[in-house]
This record gives sequence, structure tokens and C-alpha cells, in this order.
Amino acid sequence: MLTEVAAEDERGPYRARIAGVGRALPPARLTTAELMRSTRHRTRIDLEHLTGIRERRVATEDDSLGLAVGAARDCLARAGRRAEDVELLVSCSITKYRDGLVHWFEPTTAAAVARAIGAGRAVTFDVANACAGTLTGVAVANNWVRRGEVRCALVVSGERISGLATNAARHVRSIASRELASLTLGDAGAAVLVERAGEGEPGLALAGFTTVAGHSRLCLAAPARREPGARMSTRARAIHRVAIADTPLLLREALDAAGLEVTDLDHVIPHQTSVRAIRTGMRTVAAALGATPRNPPVVTVDRYGNTASTTHVVALVEELDAGRLRAGDRVALVALASGLEIGVVLFTVDPCLEACRAVRP
Amino acid sequence: MPSVLESVTVVEGGRWRRGARRLAVAAARRALRRAGLTPADVDLLVNAGLYHERLLGEPALAALVQDDLGANPDDPHPGGHGTFSFDVADGSCGMLTGLRVADGFLRTGAVDHALVVASDADPGRGLAPGFPFAPVGAAVVCGRGEGTGGIAGFRASTGSPPGPTLTATVAFDGRRNRLTVTRPAGADAAAGALAGDVAGALLADRGLTPDDLDLVVANPLTAEFLGALADRLGVPPARVGRPRDGRPVHTAGLAVALEAAAPAAGLAGRTALLVSGGAGPAAVAALVLP
Repeated sequence: MLTEVAAEDERGPYRARIAGVGRALPPARLTTAELMRSTRHRTRIDLEHLTGIRERRVATEDDSLGLAVGAARDCLARAGRRAEDVELLVSCSITKYRDGLVHWFEPTTAAAVARAIGAGRAVTFDVANACAGTLTGVAVANNWVRRGEVRCALVVSGERISGLATNAARHVRSIASRELASLTLGDAGAAVLVERAGEGEPGLALAGFTTVAGHSRLCLAAPARREPGARMSTRARAIHRVAIADTPLLLREALDAAGLEVTDLDHVIPHQTSVRAIRTGMRTVAAALGATPRNPPVVTVDRYGNTASTTHVVALVEELDAGRLRAGDRVALVALASGLEIGVVLFTVDPCLEACRAVRP
Repeated sequence: MPSVLESVTVVEGGRWRRGARRLAVAAARRALRRAGLTPADVDLLVNAGLYHERLLGEPALAALVQDDLGANPDDPHPGGHGTFSFDVADGSCGMLTGLRVADGFLRTGAVDHALVVASDADPGRGLAPGFPFAPVGAAVVCGRGEGTGGIAGFRASTGSPPGPTLTATVAFDGRRNRLTVTRPAGADAAAGALAGDVAGALLADRGLTPDDLDLVVANPLTAEFLGALADRLGVPPARVGRPRDGRPVHTAGLAVALEAAAPAAGLAGRTALLVSGGAGPAAVAALVLP
């Protein structure tokens, strides 16, 4: 596992913190019942029972870029930072749609976001790492802040990914379909502000990632041949088996590196694929590590579906706004993605992040 | 401690080996061999190539390259090593951006060896009629240096206001999805001018001038780009490299230029400027010190 621990030595003299988060959720909701009524074939699949997903948001006007820009603006506004302060801007989405379903390879989405929000002096590039993209971007930003290369980095992702569900609805025939997982997808934008922590602030304790590439072909997505947008083929059960087998060991490794026990964790935010997968995964972790975190795993997939690389931030904002994340709380973000990527980001909520809570009217 | 480039290799697509993933894997194998390493030694694998088989959007191509290389692909086990793989995308600046990301993890000691690959080729399946770039793969192995020599620093910029630029998009034309790459007149010149500004600023950071450089390694190797770069840096065009005949090399171009400029001795003991410009326009530069 590539592990970067906040050690504050000459190689990484500074500590990073998550100073702000933001999200963009399209207003339109699509229930699982509505989606399943739209399938071309009579599938007899009770997707809501299988996944626990009641509904997801679908973008009708925004594209990937719009969602990323919306989340970036939300993040900066919540954190009280100016776009001109951003020195590094990384965009991490799988989908890079602008102007409808036109996927832009070049120029980068990061440069377009920087231009839209006025982050004119930021170094910009894109990172792609499937659903682990945003946390991979956070790991890169953490590294740059720790070394003093930049003081303030913005990691963004805009996923207008529900088009894969639209395409899958034409092809899924049974529960064995490899496009079944595409029906769980929803749209969202996410942004994370990573900046240099003040003296004595706990901040971001660890970012650890590994790629179990022997399973890299379990989930593949590419432009569709005869339809707009893309299609995704997923061997969901196989991925679930690998995740269940490998995550406890890697979480243990990450906790050991940070000098923590699983009981030190106040909140665990796993990648949101299905309610059942999250609960089974946490039961397995608890059995393997002999203890549980202080709170049950955070679940937002029931309301928003699997929003790809944005799930952790969508959930973080949800928890902050509900007042369930408090300064001093220890949080583990656990990534699981095609690749097969497994990652852990451990951080302590500081007052600045707690203050990002939206004030309800 | 600055990181160092331990080996650089380029593999050109032949008649039977044109897929971008295979080009990246072939280049990576050769680069690791030249560096005296095995795939299991790779801690971090970054892919900066863009156009590969089927234009897969996920997983990261780096994960597939890791699997094909046999770089710790197995399930983790106690005491295991592990490799972390992901892609960066920054057009023809991608390889330098990948090196910058790898350099960061090397500097903090999070990794001992990083492999940066880049390759592009026609993605096949009729996805990209008239695909404009030459099928080329490249790999660079980076490690932690022991002395003061190595990569001293980077600089990057995105043009503001934006000028004419290369664009690459996939869109549905009513029958199928197609990749369209447009390269308007003046795009390479705008990228070259920006690259010259970024490189000049990087040299100024260190109190250096172009006269202090033993070597300039530039990408893309087109006459327009190199001319604008040389003009902005205030050096004779011959100092920034010779234009390459045939279809342009895209993300792997920096390694092609590096092999052409320093085939045997590499960068050891030399002061070198690595500089790329591309879509946006955007530019990245790195300074290597002896």
C-alpha cells in the first residue's frame, strides 16, 4: 500500500487539512421504480430491494463540467475562500461531458473549471481513477501541501453519469446482467479544499492506496458503440468478494501506520454502491478487526445512488449539514473502485470544516 | 532529496503491435530492465497516455498496465508490497505532469520507485477515423536520488486568455460515437509561446538563463511549437530540438525527444530543461540539475 503519513519531517514539513467540502446535486429525482419501469425488457428485478436505492438525482441541464463548477463554488463559499487562493486544481471525474454528452479528452476539465471559477493561477490537470478518483486527487493534493509545493488545493469532480443507466435500461434482461450496476448510478458534483493546517492541528493523518490489478478487468466502461454516452460492464459479485476479502487487511495496515485503532474512528464513509454491500462490508471489517467504529457506516446511497467518484464528498456534506460531524471527530473515507482500487483517507474534522455546515433558512 | 530519471524507453508501434496499452507495457518492461528493476519493485504507476483501446473510461489504464506487467497484481497479504496505479490527463504535457506527481511521492518517501508511462494509438473499432497521432509508447522509471542532482523543480501554467488550441472530443454522430481531434492553425505556436514563458520563469526561479542549459528537451516536436518556444526563450531554434517527420507523437513525445537528445549518457551531470506545451493552451516545465 502506498502510504503517506503526516510525519512533519524534512521530507514533508507541513500537515494538510480538509478545510472545506462542497457538492452540487441536480434537482431532478428519478426513483428506482421509475427507472425499472423504463427498461426495454421485462426484467422482474427488484432493484430497490437488492440495493436499498430508492432514488437518485439526474442532471437534466448540467453536464459534468457544470456539476464540478457548481460543487467548486459551493465548497469555496462554505469555506470562505477565494478562487484566486487556489494554487492547484485537480479534476477527477470519470465522465467529462460538456455541451450534452460530448466527452472532452482535451483540454482538461480541470482547466475549464479553473477558468469558470476564476482560479487563474492554479496548476491544473485531471486525474482518472474510476470511483477512487476524488480520493486519489486528495492524496495528490495532500502530498503537494505537505511538501509546501502549494498551500491551497481544490479537488473537484463532476459526474453526469446517469446516462449509463439510461443505456443499461435498454439492455438489462435479468439479474445476471453485467450492466445491472449501471442502474445504480446517479449524478452529482463534489469538491474538497485541501490546505496547509495550522500549528498543532491534527488535519489529514494518512492517505493510503493500493491497486489489486489482478482484478482490473472486473469493471470496464467505454463509449457506447451505437448509443450516445457510455456503457459499463461490471461483475459486481466478484468485486464484492474481492472487496470483502481485501479491505480489512488494508484498513488494518492504514490504521497501524497512523497509530490508531478501529475504535478511534468516529465515522466511516465507504464508497456508496448499495446499502447491503456497505453493511456486509462493515460487518466483515468488524469481525476481522475485532471491534467497530463508534458509529455505524454512513449511508447516502439510498437517496443519491452511486454517484461514482463523488460519493464520499456527497456523504461528507450530508453529515456536516445534519450536524453529525463535529470538530475533533476522526473520519475514515474508504475508497473501492474499478482497478481494483482500495484506498483509505484518515482525517480529523477541524473547526474550519465543521463551519462549512450549511446554514438552513 | 530530488528524484532522478533512472531510465527512459520508447517503443514505436509496428505492424502487429499498435494498441496503446501494449505499447505502454512493452516500454515499461524495457525501462524497468534498463533500470535494473523488476515489476515488483514499482510502488507507483502513473499513466499519462490518453488514446487507448476502446477509449476505456474506467478502470485507469495504469491498472491494466500494472496487471499486464505483473507488478504486484495479487490480493494484498501481510508483509506484501503493493503498487498504486492511476492515470493523469494533461494532453501532451501529461508525461511531465505524471513525473511531477511521481516526484512528489518520491520526495516525501511514500515510494521508492515510480513508473510513468504514456502511449497513444488508434483506439480501434472505428472510434477514431483519421486518428492523427503516431502509435508510440514510452516509459520513464524514477527513483530517489542520493545526491543533490536530479529534478530540481517544476512550473506549469494554463493560458489566460485561452488561445487557439487542440481539442479532442468523443460525440455521438447519430450512428455511433467518434473521437474527433482538431488542431487549428496557430495552436502549436500558442502552446510553444506559453511553454517558453513557463520555462523562462522556471529558470528565473533558480537564477539561471537559457545559456546555462546543456540540454532542452521539448514536446511536441513540431516546427510550429519548437519555433515559438525557441523564439520566446531567446535561443536559436536548433537548441530546442529538431522537428520530427511524419505523424506527431502525442503524450509519449517527451520521451521521444529525451531519447533523441540524450541517447546514451542520459541526463547525468547535465543541466536540462524538460518542457511541454499542449491543449488549453497549457505548458509544464521541469529543471534537471547535475
